[in-house]
This record gives sequence, C-alpha cells and structure tokens, in this order.
Amino acid sequence: MRTHGYRLSTGGLIDRTRTIRFKFNERSFTGHPGDTLASALIANGVDVIGSSFKYHRPRGFYGAGVEDPNAMLGVQDAYGYEPALRAGQVRLAEGMESWSVTGWPSAAFDVGAVAQLVSRLLSAGFYYKTFKWPSWAYFEPWIRRATGFGRPQPHNETRAVHHRYATCDVLIVGGGPAGLATARALMGRGLRVIQADDQPQLGGSLNWETAAISGLPGAGWAASIAQELAADPQMSVLTCTTVVAAYENNHFVLVEVGTNDRGVHTEYLWKVHAQQVVLATGVIERPLLFPDNDRPGIMLSNAVRRMIGEFGVAPARRMVIHTNNDSGYLTALAAHRVGIDVAAVVDTRSEGAALHAKLAREAGIRCLFDTQIQATAGYRRLSRLTVRSGRSVTTIACDGLAVSGGFSPSVHLACHRGSRPIYESSCGAFVPGELPEGWYAVGGVNGTLDLSETFSEAATTARAILDGRGVSRRAAAIPRVDALAMGWGAASARNGRRWFSRMWVDFQNDVKASDIELAAREGYVSIEHLKRYTTLGMGTDQGRTSNVTGLALMAELTQRTIGELGTTTFRPPYTAVRLGTIANARRGDLFKPRRFLPAHAIHQHLGAVFEDFGWERPDWYRSNAPERESAVALEMASVRNQVGVFDASSLGKIEITGPDAAKFLSRLYVSNLVTLKPGRVRYSVMLKEDGVIFDDGVVSCLSDHHFLASPTSGNAEAVAAWFERWRQTEWPTMRVAISPVTSNWASIAIAGPRARELLTRLKPDFDISNAAFPHMQIRVGTVAGVLARVARISFTGELQFEISVQARYAAWLLSCALAAEGDVKPRPVGLEAWLRLRLEKGYLHVGSDTNGRTTPIDVGMGDIVAKRQDDFIGKRSLRLQFATSPQREQLVGLRALDGTLKVGGRILSSGCTKVPCPTEGYVTSACFSPSVGASIALALLERGHAREGEMVNVYCDSALVSCRISNPTFYDPTNQRLQA
Amino acid sequence: MIMIRCPYCTELRTEEELVYGGEADLVRPAETSSDQEWTDYLFMRANLKGVHHEQWCCSAGCGQWFKVVRDTVSHKVLHVRKFEELPQPATEVV
Repeated sequence: MRTHGYRLSTGGLIDRTRTIRFKFNERSFTGHPGDTLASALIANGVDVIGSSFKYHRPRGFYGAGVEDPNAMLGVQDAYGYEPALRAGQVRLAEGMESWSVTGWPSAAFDVGAVAQLVSRLLSAGFYYKTFKWPSWAYFEPWIRRATGFGRPQPHNETRAVHHRYATCDVLIVGGGPAGLATARALMGRGLRVIQADDQPQLGGSLNWETAAISGLPGAGWAASIAQELAADPQMSVLTCTTVVAAYENNHFVLVEVGTNDRGVHTEYLWKVHAQQVVLATGVIERPLLFPDNDRPGIMLSNAVRRMIGEFGVAPARRMVIHTNNDSGYLTALAAHRVGIDVAAVVDTRSEGAALHAKLAREAGIRCLFDTQIQATAGYRRLSRLTVRSGRSVTTIACDGLAVSGGFSPSVHLACHRGSRPIYESSCGAFVPGELPEGWYAVGGVNGTLDLSETFSEAATTARAILDGRGVSRRAAAIPRVDALAMGWGAASARNGRRWFSRMWVDFQNDVKASDIELAAREGYVSIEHLKRYTTLGMGTDQGRTSNVTGLALMAELTQRTIGELGTTTFRPPYTAVRLGTIANARRGDLFKPRRFLPAHAIHQHLGAVFEDFGWERPDWYRSNAPERESAVALEMASVRNQVGVFDASSLGKIEITGPDAAKFLSRLYVSNLVTLKPGRVRYSVMLKEDGVIFDDGVVSCLSDHHFLASPTSGNAEAVAAWFERWRQTEWPTMRVAISPVTSNWASIAIAGPRARELLTRLKPDFDISNAAFPHMQIRVGTVAGVLARVARISFTGELQFEISVQARYAAWLLSCALAAEGDVKPRPVGLEAWLRLRLEKGYLHVGSDTNGRTTPIDVGMGDIVAKRQDDFIGKRSLRLQFATSPQREQLVGLRALDGTLKVGGRILSSGCTKVPCPTEGYVTSACFSPSVGASIALALLERGHAREGEMVNVYCDSALVSCRISNPTFYDPTNQRLQA
Repeated sequence: MIMIRCPYCTELRTEEELVYGGEADLVRPAETSSDQEWTDYLFMRANLKGVHHEQWCCSAGCGQWFKVVRDTVSHKVLHVRKFEELPQPATEVV
C-alpha cells in the first residue's frame, strides 16, 4: 500500500547510515538517529495517532514539536515508561515502544467515536449544566472512562534524576536565530552566559528553513556559531533543555533531558539564577478555522517545512497550502522543491506578496486568492477538499493540507512573572508587554519575524546588556541574510457561521467554534469565563495553537477588538514536568531520613517490631510473644509486677544554661520553674500565644544555671527552635544559651516494683533509697560504670528510673539492664505497652489527647495556671472568652460497662441512645486495661470535669458503648506505687 | 525566589535556606492588656501590598533571626538588619 507520508531520498539532519527499530501500537517500524518519534512515524506512513478528547475523532500529527495538540503517546524506552509524551518532543531510541493513549480499543477504530453522534450533549459548559440537571453523577463514570491521556505505570523506571544549581550573568532562552545571534554578540566579553534550547542542536528554525546567512546555509551558519560557543568556557549551552518556569528575582527552572541511543537515561532539573534574561523563544503557528479542519493529514504549515527540512520527511504526496500570510508560500516552495505535488495555495487574502506569488507561479503552483476552504473529506486521512471563491466552488483531491493562520509569540515565561502581553494588531498577535526588570525580547517573540531585523535586534540587545555592565565592546557584525520573508497573518476568523459546529479551535480539548458561539450567546463573554466555560486552552498544551483563534472568534461574535478582550495568562510550567523530576531522590527510603535509636542493633536482636514515629522505635518484641496482643499484655504485666526496660532515647533533650535559665523557662512553661531547686524535676506544659497546649514534658534542674528540658520525641526540634526564637527576638538581653542535645544522650527507662533492685545491680555511685532519692528528682553520677543522669520520674504509674548516658553507651546500658539475675527478670517493653500503661495512669499524650483548641485548664491544670503570678507565653489568652466558656471540651476518663472503646468514638449527648443525634465530645485514646479489667479511654468532653460519675453512650464502629465518666487516672489514683 | 543576605553570617541565601517569620516589630502586650489589644496582637496583621517589615531566620545557615524590609509585589529586599541594630529611617519609611 502506498502510504501518505514517506521518507525523502535526501535531505534533513538525520543520520541515514544508521537505523533505529521501534514500535507503535505493537507494529514495528524503523527510523534514523536525528528523528523524533513524530517524524519517524510520519515517515512510516502512520496517519492516525490517537483520537480526540471528547468526540473521539481520529487525529493525526498537527505540529512537529511542542506545539502539537494531538500527538500524545505512552512511551517506553530502556529506562522506563511515560504515559503522555508529545511525539514531536521524543527523540527516537533503539527498541522504543509507543502506544496511543486515547481511543478504545484502538485509536484507528475507536468505539467512543459514537460520541460524535451525541455531540449536542457535549456542548460548552456541559459539566456545569449537568450539576443543574439531570445529575453530574449520571455522566461522571462514563466521562471519566472515556477521557484522559494515558495511565501511569509506577515502579518500572530506572531513569536517574539530578537537581543542579547555577548562576549566570545572562540567561538566553532559545537557541534559534535570535538566541544564537545574541549569544554570539555577548561572547568573549567576560560575561557568563547560559543558553538553553529544547532541541538537540542549536539553530531552531534555521535547521529547516531555506535561508542563507553570511553566505552559508542556515543550518550551517547555526552549526558554526554553535561551535564557537562550545569553545568558549564562559558560554554554557544546554541543549534538550526547556526553560519551564520563571520566578521572581530572575530565578528559572529548566528541565534538561539526558538521552543516549536507548532513551532518556537522566533528567536534570536546573535552578538557575540570572542577572539578565534574553527571551528568544520565537513563535508558534496558529490554525485556521474551516469545516472539519481536524482531519488527519491537516498540519501546521511550518511543521510541514520542518518535517521536510530537518527530518527529510514528506508528510503527504499531494498537498494544498491554506494560508492567511506569506509564509504559506514558503511551505509551497519547500514542498515543491522535494517533489511533493503541490496542488494549490489557497490564500484567504486578496493578494500575497508579489515576490512569493511570482516564485510559486514560476514553480507551476496554482495560487487561489480570496478563497476559503468550505469542506474537507476523508475519515482516517484527508482525501479531498472543496474551496470557494465568491461563487465558484472547486474540489481538489489531496492527502495533505498545510495550514497557516498567522503566528503567536511564545510569551509564556514573561507571563509567569506577571507581565501582561499586549495585542499588536499589525502582527495579529500578542507580543510581550512591559517586561520584568533585566529582561529583553528578541526576534519572533518580540514581534520580529524578519531574519535581518532579528539579527539587528540581537545586536542592539547585546549592546544594551554590555553597556549596562560597562563592558568595552567593538560593534558586532550583523550577519547578512538572504531569505524569503514570512509575514504575519491576521488573527481573524471570517468563515460561515453555519459550519461552526464542525470547526475545531482547540484540538486537544475538542473545543469547537460553536462552543465559543454558545458561550457568547449564554453571556460568558469575558475571556476568563470563556476559558473555563468551554475549556478552551485548558489542555496540556495550554492553548498554544488555539488561544488567539478562540479570542479572535469571541471578539468578532461580540463586536470587540482582540485588544479589548485581552488574553488569559500562562502559568508555569511551560511544558509538563514529571513529579519524579521534582521529587528527585526524595522517594522511597530516601523520602525522609530514617532515624535509628543508638541501641537499634540490640532491639533487632530482641526481635523488636519497629514502627516509624520519626524514629524507628520498637512497638513490641517478638522475644516476649510471637503475636502482638499477647506480647503487649506480657510487657504491661512485667512493668506492673516485675520490671520492664524501655528505650526512651528519642525523647527530646534541650539544655538551657546561663544565669537567666530558670526565668527564661518559666516564661515558656505554664509552671513556675524559678522555684525549682537543683536535683528536682517538674512536669509542665507549654502553650503557644493563643493559649493552646503545644508540648509537654519534664524540666530538670541540674544546677542553678543549668536546666534540662525534655520535650516530646516528635516535637524536639520544633521546641528547640521555639525557645531559640523567643530568646533572639523577644528577650535578647536574657543571659541564656539553648543547646539541643537529643541525639547526644541515650535514655533507658526501667519501670516496675523491682526497678530499684535492678538499678542497684547497675551499681550507681549514689544513694537510691526512697528517702535519699524520692520521686521527681534527678541525680548525676555513675551507673554501670559510665557517667549518667538518672531521673526518677514516671510515665507508667510505677516506680521508674530514667537513666541517660552518652549515646555511645546505649547498647552497653541496655544490655546491662536486661541481664536477668536472681528473681529480678527484666523484660523489654515496646511503645504500645508503654502508651497503654500511661493511659491507665491517665497521663496526657499531647497531640492525641489534646487538639488545636485544648488549654491547660481543659486538662486539669487550672490550679497551676491560677497560682502563677507572673506572665508566661499564652497566659493572657486563657482569660479570653473562648478559654473560659463553660461549654469547653475537657479531658475525662471513660470506663466501658460493656463493649470496646475506640479512638475517634463520638460521645452522644446525655440521654441519647440512638444515632444520629448531637454529640458532645470524642475518644482520644483507648485500650483494654488489664488493671481495671475493662475497656478504658481518655476523651475530650463538653463540661467534662463537672460530669464525673455520669453515664454516657459512645458511638464506636457502628455500636453504642455504655460508659461511666471518671477521673482520667484509672490506676493507683493516690500515687502510692510511683512513690514507693 | 527570594534572596536575602543574612546580616549575621553574611551569606546570600535563597528562601529555600530561610524560614519566614511573619510581620516584624509586633509589640507583645502586657498581661494587663485588654482583650482587644491582646487579640489584635494574636491575629491582626497588616498584610501589606508593597513595603513590608518582616522576620526571617537563617535556618539552614547560622540559625539567627533578623529583620527584612521587602516589597511584597516585586519581592525586592530593600533592607536587612540584625535585631540589635536600630532601623535606618530613610529605608524604613513606608
């Protein structure tokens, strides 16, 4: 079968001596190094690449690169799969496989194409209308299945990602003629320049256009400048690199794609800080509106030139060129030159440039003026079209149509910085408005299509940059150009309204002229409303080809100018950036650094089952029992009856030193710590200025000028930063130093009625009798032969010592503590048992038993607050109305009479026995208590303190649990055991 | 990306290395203040468009807090000073 697209026998920048094998939709093809996936597929005669978003119409290649709204493919190379890549941006690699990501069961035979039959249903504002009637839910499952661009396939990627940082004097965005000329003029003047271009070789349009520069062919001239730049160490050229975003202070994000002959092996995310910026991003061609303008075989005019010039590919055998500007003739001549049969140039204008028309006629090309395309035919490939000029209607057989509706400058990056583009009617295009400080625009993006003018603009810009920096210079020679002018096209949409429902404006989102007409009729005439109502320009291409066409149509429909209408703004990124590229190495195990306890190896040896609580902490020990519940029960029993050993090393430790240390801490904690004597320990909570509990823990006084604060494990860093901020910003004259030392110390807690016997065996060099070392005191001395701080505090309600030694002795201390001797049989205790023990005792777990509104009064510390004479952080807030309200949720205990209490269970209002009903609080911690012999919980309950003894119903897991409200302390309320 | 030279360690740092601390020069009212004064201190911020006085911390560097005058529209840093330095009247006029 004769294909439509084919490889020309000569020409292009491809390496014809080598062949690359690849697949598309399971069919095998070949291409050459230098090809993109798009050019190789066209060369192999592939017409249909996917189907359209809403109506599932067959779609072919519409552009050659970043501008193509259609050619989204799933691509697998040697390094991984990407679900939605633009074929024109993918460099062909050996063994590459690609698939259509739209259409089911296949793009060429798409069942969803029946959507065309119900296209009246899918008009503009379809989504919004279904919210009103009949119901969005009715359409949603069907819409979700039928739309979208591909599905990600996780875990199969071996691509590397690196983040790189750079600074430069000048960043040149774009390596086409404008960017090259500017770079050349800045070279050798002592400036560090970074030039970025998304193609593998510099030159941009010079690589495919027919032009002579300083006596060289365009591509040859570009290559010679590229060589000069490469030889200069001050000039960094990044090819295959897209500048995707611009941020304030001239920070840019660039994505560089590192390819080899097997695919994309690495992606580099660059963060570049530039002093000055040259925008040389060029233009993107626009479509023209005519009936069925989306058929495969219809393509942007300069994409046809690029296929011919850069890749040696003919997109069709017999072509028509439809244009509203002079550049269409360039395409006609280029196609004719390589032997494509050019049937006609259909020009919407009454005349073209005399020179262009003359050259076309000399080549034997028919030029039709004042002519419109009235119809096209061919389902999977264009087969003929009908043109009308006045009353005369002609049918032309062809399999290719090149379309040029003028050009849109790529102003995206300036828009990222808030610059509003302005409509320039002489170009029929939006050009950059006021540029950010230090920015220059050169060439097409600046509204300058002519090469000679572009080169003189580049020279002027380089001079301005060098002058601004006081760099001496000779006038750079402006290259001599011999090329046909392109010329701007008017951004207008004159064509019969009766065909609106078959004219595509936004190919990617399937927005038709009729949708824009409907939006105008329904009053969505503001450009921002138009965009959201019709989804015009909301695809992954951000309306690169469609925006201005849509605007022009809306302007005509509402009798305004495009300038009056304005444009929507472009936001970063310019092209899609993979989330994995942003995440870099921060994934899997490297997402967050794992922190291990200093005695981790011992815990492993003991069969600990670890859980990540910011630290890898033993949750329970397999050496105690093979299954969690029985192990936890055993661990709890050992603390209650014998002695348990718990690793508390992750607990925060902050040393506060200096003459004002006590005064400083008193301002940060609810309790007065000025009265804390050396060797004493006090428990307290810390508030934020709004009076809400932020953290809790004990503070130990080691000497008058030396304190040790123990914030909770999860908050250790935050509390140290909190201390430091107050010291620096509010009380800079206080003589106090703050040293976070959490990881310097390991802490092993031994708890249980036999804890003192166990400690005795560790041979402390100080008296640990109850009289000499009572509860809530601290001693510094030698334990197990090493320097230790021993605090007699309790989290479990039992006699408990917490022994802190230098972190390197953690394993030693833990081994000594666990060594059984006689009838003292210590057992390792994990975090789950530890937390249940504290729940029995009713001790607070900040963050679980408190929420973002809980004050110290709510948790029963009202007396301490009332006693404080002086100020502390958050104190004043406790007198505000919110804190003194009688309706507040307060911490209480709950004892279940039947059933099991669960965290999150809602406490029903008094007297309620059935849900739904109002609730008055919720369960914050819960467990089965062996000591009580029932399910117990802590809860935040409205007016809870006054309701002790009352019965309430708690709704847990679809069941009602009947409970009695109690004091939070279930175990040993008189504290006999911990003072023993 | 905001860039600020830390006045303590004198390194030019990007916002990724810094922590923003909100409006500067808030005066913490005495314990005897009225509810209105106290809640204003807690919640009310100028939220200026334009020249804004704020606190920043050199969190990835020397750990010091300092004061910055910044234009919230252009993200230009107009003035940076240590906490113990007095404001420069010329640059601090809003």
